[in-house]
Amino acid sequence: MSDPRATGSARYAEDFELPGMLHARIVRSLFPHARVVRVDASAVPESCIVLTPDDVRDLSPYGCQIEDQNVLAERARHVGDPVAAVAAPTPEQAEEAVPLVEIDYEQLPAVFDAVEAAQPGAPLLHETAAAGGAAAYFAMRPQPGTNICHRFRIRHGDVDAGFAEADAIVERMYRIAGAQHAHMEPHACVAHWDGNRLELWTGTQTPFSMRDDLATIFGIPPEAIRIVSLPMGGSFGAKTFVRTEAIAAALARKAQRPVKLVLPRSEEWQTLNRHPATVTVKLGARADGTLVASQTTCYADTGAYADCGPGVAQKMGFAAPGPYRIPNVRVDAYCVYTNLAPNGAFRGYGQMQSTWARERALDTLAEQLGLDPVELRLRNIVRDGDVYCTGETLHDVRFAECLEAAAAAVRWSEGRRGKGIALVMKGMQTPSRAAIAIERDGDDYVLRCATTEMGQGAKRALSLEAARLLGVDVARIRFPDPDTSLVPYDTRTTSSRSTYMMSRALAEAVRDPRGYGEIRNEGGLDPDTGQGIASTHWHQGAAAADVEVDEETGKVTVTHLHTTTYAGRVVNRLGAELQTEGSMIMGLGTALFEEVAFEDGQVINANLSDYATPSFADVPTRFTYELIEEDGADVHGLGETALPPVPPAVGNAVASLGIEVDELPLKPETVLAAMKVRV
Amino acid sequence: MKLRVRINGADHELEARTDESILDVVRRELGLLSVRETCGIGVCGACTVLLDGEPVSGCLLLAPLADGREITTVEGLGGDDPVQQAFSDAHAFQCGYCTPGMILTAKRLLEETPQLTEDDVRAAMSGNLCRCGSYVKIVEAVLQAANA
Repeated sequence: MSDPRATGSARYAEDFELPGMLHARIVRSLFPHARVVRVDASAVPESCIVLTPDDVRDLSPYGCQIEDQNVLAERARHVGDPVAAVAAPTPEQAEEAVPLVEIDYEQLPAVFDAVEAAQPGAPLLHETAAAGGAAAYFAMRPQPGTNICHRFRIRHGDVDAGFAEADAIVERMYRIAGAQHAHMEPHACVAHWDGNRLELWTGTQTPFSMRDDLATIFGIPPEAIRIVSLPMGGSFGAKTFVRTEAIAAALARKAQRPVKLVLPRSEEWQTLNRHPATVTVKLGARADGTLVASQTTCYADTGAYADCGPGVAQKMGFAAPGPYRIPNVRVDAYCVYTNLAPNGAFRGYGQMQSTWARERALDTLAEQLGLDPVELRLRNIVRDGDVYCTGETLHDVRFAECLEAAAAAVRWSEGRRGKGIALVMKGMQTPSRAAIAIERDGDDYVLRCATTEMGQGAKRALSLEAARLLGVDVARIRFPDPDTSLVPYDTRTTSSRSTYMMSRALAEAVRDPRGYGEIRNEGGLDPDTGQGIASTHWHQGAAAADVEVDEETGKVTVTHLHTTTYAGRVVNRLGAELQTEGSMIMGLGTALFEEVAFEDGQVINANLSDYATPSFADVPTRFTYELIEEDGADVHGLGETALPPVPPAVGNAVASLGIEVDELPLKPETVLAAMKVRV
Repeated sequence: MKLRVRINGADHELEARTDESILDVVRRELGLLSVRETCGIGVCGACTVLLDGEPVSGCLLLAPLADGREITTVEGLGGDDPVQQAFSDAHAFQCGYCTPGMILTAKRLLEETPQLTEDDVRAAMSGNLCRCGSYVKIVEAVLQAANA
């Protein structure tokens, strides 16, 4: 018999139903920044429940890292900000009720660019700095009187002295467009109150963060909330923290009935995208290619609410210097509010943006020095036991191996016209905690843990690992959907941490007579100096690309894409392959055409026709990858590693033809414009 | 309206509105949840059903247009169909949300063109999107099914 995904019997959050449930829709702001002066729902039929700001006044503001968001906005801060909501017996009735809710607005000045928004005098989105949210794992550094909600710095050595001894200096500004996760299953949840207990079935990567944030919102103990994370039809970072769940729960509270909320496709672009960023990189090197100084300034556009933007900006910052020995490093990363839809976690988590900037700058520097880009990197590459600019010692370092393998894959030594390479050094959630309990049920073993399934194969990987450790057939391992009332606490299923962290907790549980295992990784960075431990486990990889550019249209065709990533010990081979292939293909979308386009703060391509994602036709004819494996090595997360190096490998390949493009995506019109100033 | 339609080999008389899609009808009336809405505008293929054997977007097919005709969803293939088996064997999915549409498109392609090259598969399937990016293994699965 075939896999449930092939028979059609697989079920997702979207398929969950409860008897008597109502169907919800959100009424959204039409303006990027406006005070809501009147909500009139008198035209809505009585069969519908309407939720207005008056109904949620007793609810607390929320936010996983900064509590700056209300369940419904009385002051809308982006086009699409939820202002009211309706629930009706059928989805069609709910849809019809939305335009019947009349809202009067008083418009306010708005700002749509992070660099502009960070300047003094820009319209302010949030006048006062809000408290840190439950999932804040570092101290926030809001800059009062500005739209900067977090500032992260690295101070290592003396960059001015470093640049003074440089023979060559490159300084360039790079821009990276926003992207939409475009997970095929929309956000979907069902909320139900049982007295004062809230039960919620939803597709989420973060069941415990969800529980804690909803406890804050509704002012009830976390134990009074049960979150069941159902399998997701893709997520890529989008189904994290509170998205639609608070509105569904508030509607269910008012209706005294279960409420289901499924987002229409176009509203995904108003709910969460990837951070657009502006990253300025300055690199200095001696004539022999030795790097002496690196300075990076990042502006991460977090949109109207911080969400996990402070963490994204911090990771964009700490990954910016990259896997190179640089004695003098300075990083300033800013997380900035603008009147765009919120931006949050996205596969690559900030590190794609700074990797693009640094790896492009390195090639420009190599060109200036007359050095081979691979040679320049190898001369400076970090080796086992080196100390990173954060002060932490790097172990199990394989960057040189990844780089050399990637270069060999595209026959770098036979001529490098049309070819490009890039490296990525990506962190994993630090600090964090993972725990698992193994229960016996007859001949079967039941895994109780909060690791969620979004297609990445976590259930399969951990089941295979449990079978191996217990010495039983994998058919005897059961892995129910995570239910916070039944599983021990886990930080979340993010940052490619679950196979690595949860498999170690699992090994503890197998050894433990009670069948319980818990693992913590400790660390964190001082946000003012960037000193400490950024990541207890680094994801390491390289990409290489061979491209052709159409001289008339500027269209870039990638004829060969290759990645080499360090995998350590592979737990689930098919999963490792699929995640690598998927990361590379998603990276190609980011490299070549994906871009959330705005006009006056309104997304103008909020559909899957105008916003294209890669199809079969976009997979390069030569599409290869290699996982560096080692028996007995640590398990290395592979959910994202092959994504961030793809755009700069493609960008560097285009630059090798004399076409210097500093902004993503490399769409034909951008490339064509760069061809006119060809070097 | 009453919609008379043969679905997965059985005749049905279903309640349907004239302005709704066959996607909504088969999900609501028959619980055929393998038919899934992603884009809602006929570009992604997640809602693909076979209408008299031809793949069409269920999100665009107005229910009345299916009256008197035959619809196949992936549930109707049973589970032991060679294409389903090939997808399972090649592990040609991650989240699996797009898989039923992929399988139905591949099914028709294999009936029309039993001798397939990799390029044929990529061209014929390019109306089905997979955001997880499982394309390489999907092509493998279709070629495997072609040779089965």
